[in-house]
Amino acid sequence: MTISRTSRSPRSLLGAARGAVRPWTGRRRAKESAWAALFLAPAVIAIVAMRIAPTASAIESSLYSGFPGGILEPVFSGLRNYHDLWASEAFRETVVRTLVFNLVINPLQIVIALALAVAMTRKIHAAGLWRTLVFVPATVPIVGSSILWGIGLQPRGPVNAIIRALGGEPQPFFTSADQALASIILVASWIGVGYWMLFLIAGIQAIPEEYYEAARLDRAGPLRTFLSITIPLLKRPLLFVLVADTVANFVLFVPVQILTGGGPQNSTTMQMFNAYRTTFGYSSKNLGAAEVVILTLIMLVFVALQFRLLREDRSPRRRA
Amino acid sequence: MTTTCQSLLRRRLRSDRRSVPMTLVAVFLAAVFILPAVWLFTNSLRPTAEIFEHLSPLSWRTLIPEAPSVHNYVTLLQGPFGRAFGLSLIVCLLTVAFGLVVCVLAAYALAVLDFPGRAFAFSFVVISFMVPFEAIAIPLSQLFTGWGLTNTLMGLVLPGIGNGLAIFNLRQHFLSVPRSYREAATIDGASEIRTLRNVYVPLSGSAIVNSALLIFLGQWTAYLWPLIAVSETRLQVAPIALAKTFAENSSNYGENFAGAVVLSLVPAILMLILQRSFGNLSLASGEK
Repeated sequence: MTISRTSRSPRSLLGAARGAVRPWTGRRRAKESAWAALFLAPAVIAIVAMRIAPTASAIESSLYSGFPGGILEPVFSGLRNYHDLWASEAFRETVVRTLVFNLVINPLQIVIALALAVAMTRKIHAAGLWRTLVFVPATVPIVGSSILWGIGLQPRGPVNAIIRALGGEPQPFFTSADQALASIILVASWIGVGYWMLFLIAGIQAIPEEYYEAARLDRAGPLRTFLSITIPLLKRPLLFVLVADTVANFVLFVPVQILTGGGPQNSTTMQMFNAYRTTFGYSSKNLGAAEVVILTLIMLVFVALQFRLLREDRSPRRRA
Repeated sequence: MTTTCQSLLRRRLRSDRRSVPMTLVAVFLAAVFILPAVWLFTNSLRPTAEIFEHLSPLSWRTLIPEAPSVHNYVTLLQGPFGRAFGLSLIVCLLTVAFGLVVCVLAAYALAVLDFPGRAFAFSFVVISFMVPFEAIAIPLSQLFTGWGLTNTLMGLVLPGIGNGLAIFNLRQHFLSVPRSYREAATIDGASEIRTLRNVYVPLSGSAIVNSALLIFLGQWTAYLWPLIAVSETRLQVAPIALAKTFAENSSNYGENFAGAVVLSLVPAILMLILQRSFGNLSLASGEK
């Protein structure tokens, strides 16, 4: 009798609700938990199979040493792969290059995105049109933009034609170890900046107009208004965009693989491409796994940070 | 009284006046960003031989072809790219279909249902999906080989079905649906599945479309995964096919440009249509 009441039949639920004692809240909670488990199951299975399992398998694989190409069975070797990586100057250079690349490209993109966002939120004619035009590159898939810039930055290409028309010397771009990484930054920023600009425009528009009215009454100049009002009230979206951008650029892969293959002289080899090349190019599965583990660990720190900022995104705005 | 009103009004008007110099700055910035895309598009309409022909001196001919033709597009779509393009569409649509089910169910559980450990489950789900997929794509491809999923359609689809941002957005939206709606549905005897389908989903059109778009874009621009999870040509997706022709036959710029344009047009058209019919699409904010 009681069992049939707690069953899924809706009428019994209603009946239980009418029963004045309300013992049903606990039972309803149990039922809700069951539904929650059911609804979360697909996502959890996907996470376990496609996020946790590969991470675990990479960790395990990184503890073995195998002969490149995998003719012999890999043997357990503890932390030797990590030790070897640490001892390898090429790997250390790759890690440093990845860090330097990110220390340059992320602030650079965010500063440009902020300047654009400020310019596009001024009282101008047809603001929506100019915003859209800046955003268009973000809709070009990165394979397409890599090819576009690969051709555009060729020694005899249009960018050098513009440089020559302005009286400069033609540049080697991707073919020079000094300029290849900077050229990758250009490709990635042409796509990224317009995208991050949208977030910052949304942030600027969420700042109440009264603050600017007050600044006007105080006769604050545009620079002062920007530094004392826009920047402090935009802190949260700025931080979020910076972290999200870093997470994206840490695993930047496509332009490196398509345009430079990590060269010239390894000048564009960063951790993501390096792990790919070790695993598939050099067939060193175990060493590649160790490189993936190191990359994932660094990423996790940034993702946790991004999640915190995302979750707190709402409250400060309401307070403002 | 009226004079203060009028002066206030005038001040308002003055501050609302649009600035011509600032507009010119905006036009210049927009031009810097759009010109490479324009060059890409217009040069996809001319033969490869002409692409570098009008560079010195620069002239309007650099941008505008004398006799625009869709020849590059025709040969491109007749080649392996055409087939790959079709496959990409199929992969993306399947991903969106499966992905929406996974994300909507998870978001509903995390937003509406009351169960112990909900806050932890929320962090766990979103963080897990936020770790960039690229980082674990390499070990996953080795697992997929063991599971017999490499070189299969589902092998391409599966990694795209969970999207942390989509779950986050949907949950946020479901939280804004008044709880009394669900109470009413429960009292009327609706199961959780029916409440979700008949109450929450109809109220969340824009959030669901937004999530579909996020899932679609993630899959449409995927490159590393299809590169390592598929070796057979019959399962090549469009970005891989394009990169292959660029690497193997890199002198055929016209066709490469056409491929880049086709790849870009699909998400652009999609966004335009969805923006028209649903309004306030916001890829840019965690809300709505």
